[in-house]
Amino acid sequence: MTEDELRAAFARHESLTPPVGPLRAAVDRIVVRRRRRRRRLRVGAAALAVLGLLGIAVPRVVPSLGGHTAAAEFPADRVAPRGVLNVLLVGVDGAPDSRVRGADFVPRADSVLLVHVPADRSRLYLVSLPRDLMVAIPGHGTQKLNSSFQLGATASRPDLRRGYDLTRRVVADTTGVRIDAGAVLTYPVLRRLTDGVGGVEVCLPEQVRSVHTRRVFPAGCQRLDGTGSVDLLRQRYGMTWGAQDRDRNAQRYAAGLVRQLGSGDTLRNPVALSRLLVALGPDLVADTGEASLPELLTRTVQASRAAPVGLVLPTVEAPERPGSTVLDERAAPAFLSALRQDRLAGWVAANPDRVTALGAQR
Amino acid sequence: MTYEEFADSRLTALLRYAVMLTGDPHQAQDLVQDTMVRVQLNWRRVARAESPERYVRRMLTNQYVDWRRGSWMRRVLLRGEPEESAPQATDHAQDAVERDQVWSWLARLPRRQRASLVLRYYEDLPDAEIAEILGCAVGTVRSSISRALATLRAEHVEVCS
Repeated sequence: MTEDELRAAFARHESLTPPVGPLRAAVDRIVVRRRRRRRRLRVGAAALAVLGLLGIAVPRVVPSLGGHTAAAEFPADRVAPRGVLNVLLVGVDGAPDSRVRGADFVPRADSVLLVHVPADRSRLYLVSLPRDLMVAIPGHGTQKLNSSFQLGATASRPDLRRGYDLTRRVVADTTGVRIDAGAVLTYPVLRRLTDGVGGVEVCLPEQVRSVHTRRVFPAGCQRLDGTGSVDLLRQRYGMTWGAQDRDRNAQRYAAGLVRQLGSGDTLRNPVALSRLLVALGPDLVADTGEASLPELLTRTVQASRAAPVGLVLPTVEAPERPGSTVLDERAAPAFLSALRQDRLAGWVAANPDRVTALGAQR
Repeated sequence: MTYEEFADSRLTALLRYAVMLTGDPHQAQDLVQDTMVRVQLNWRRVARAESPERYVRRMLTNQYVDWRRGSWMRRVLLRGEPEESAPQATDHAQDAVERDQVWSWLARLPRRQRASLVLRYYEDLPDAEIAEILGCAVGTVRSSISRALATLRAEHVEVCS
């Protein structure tokens, strides 16, 4: 047999080649499934840590626990690294649907919240950073804080992780605070988190009317489900202080979430907790920094002996750029150095008028 | 180059190559599918290669050569789908017989030898490139091709004499 016969045999069998269309679709389907699974495994532990940061601290101080304390589950005497903990929570205005390929929507940071856990673990401080704050964004000059997420996320295609990384860097540069851990909260994540813990009670000082759904959130305390919470947290138009009022509502929501996690069953019931983590699963981008999970939990177990304190980074309207803000030269330096040096309790005592009323304090 | 561009331009050629390797459209589909899933998941690494196409062809060839019972081979064999897309012989009966013969002789070759035959006589690649794809020396490529040809010629003589 000659080599030409062999060539001919191959050439004749080319007709066996099946069409590529279905094959390509099958490959894409499998890839989506594997990516989702990979991401879910990766964020599982991180999500647990963030929930721990937000809430595990609380059961210890809620009197209704009847002896079943968080300290019993996470013995604080094992390792008790003492030190300040700063957690960055970035709420973004919607997320690219991971199932729609080529979605070119890039989210921006709606609200940026720094959760500060002091070394003495006396309470949680929720520090809002105004989205309109003019900040130096590495590689992009001076822009509003909310675009740091967008600029980071656009580097390749919408990528929450990169958006978070750039925002984290900008916040660390601006405030001089070391950020130990963090998470990105998209609307779907917020909705599922809220529903997963059984709703969150939010206490509003004044009525809020949704420009998106026309829903009216009355003044006073109310329990909101996931959809309601997202709706409330999107509102800034028609409020006295616009975006700053929205930041305060985000603090009120976070305080309610902490209360709910402390009083609810979620954190003590492994089944409920794992169901919640699966629900948050693929969309939650979280960062536990260099700390391991037990370390983070141990460090936060004692974090809250009292209700959280809501604060806003002191800013003033930029004189030459209406609609954006810059650091308040009078108040900000003292506030930031108190934050960096873990002396916020003293600062709060001296500036009671700058504390957000979170409502339903215990 | 993005994964999409790569798939647009190269997928058909890869699938044809897989048909020549496996001799069966269903096995070829599964072989390419498994490879392309890995290609897409690791696209950044693939795209960094000097020639992504050669890199992917190497991945696919390795997967074919290293196939073990229990991996994709078993899934193919146990699936039991009808051979609806296998075209029937349409030309002369003699051609069909000959085609089946050469094809079945090829199927009996060790996979490495068959891969080197496909790379030389179907893909028309120089021996150096074949050696790179198979991850062996040029001398090894030449000897395995000549051994494969010797086996095929022996079969041929047996049938025709």
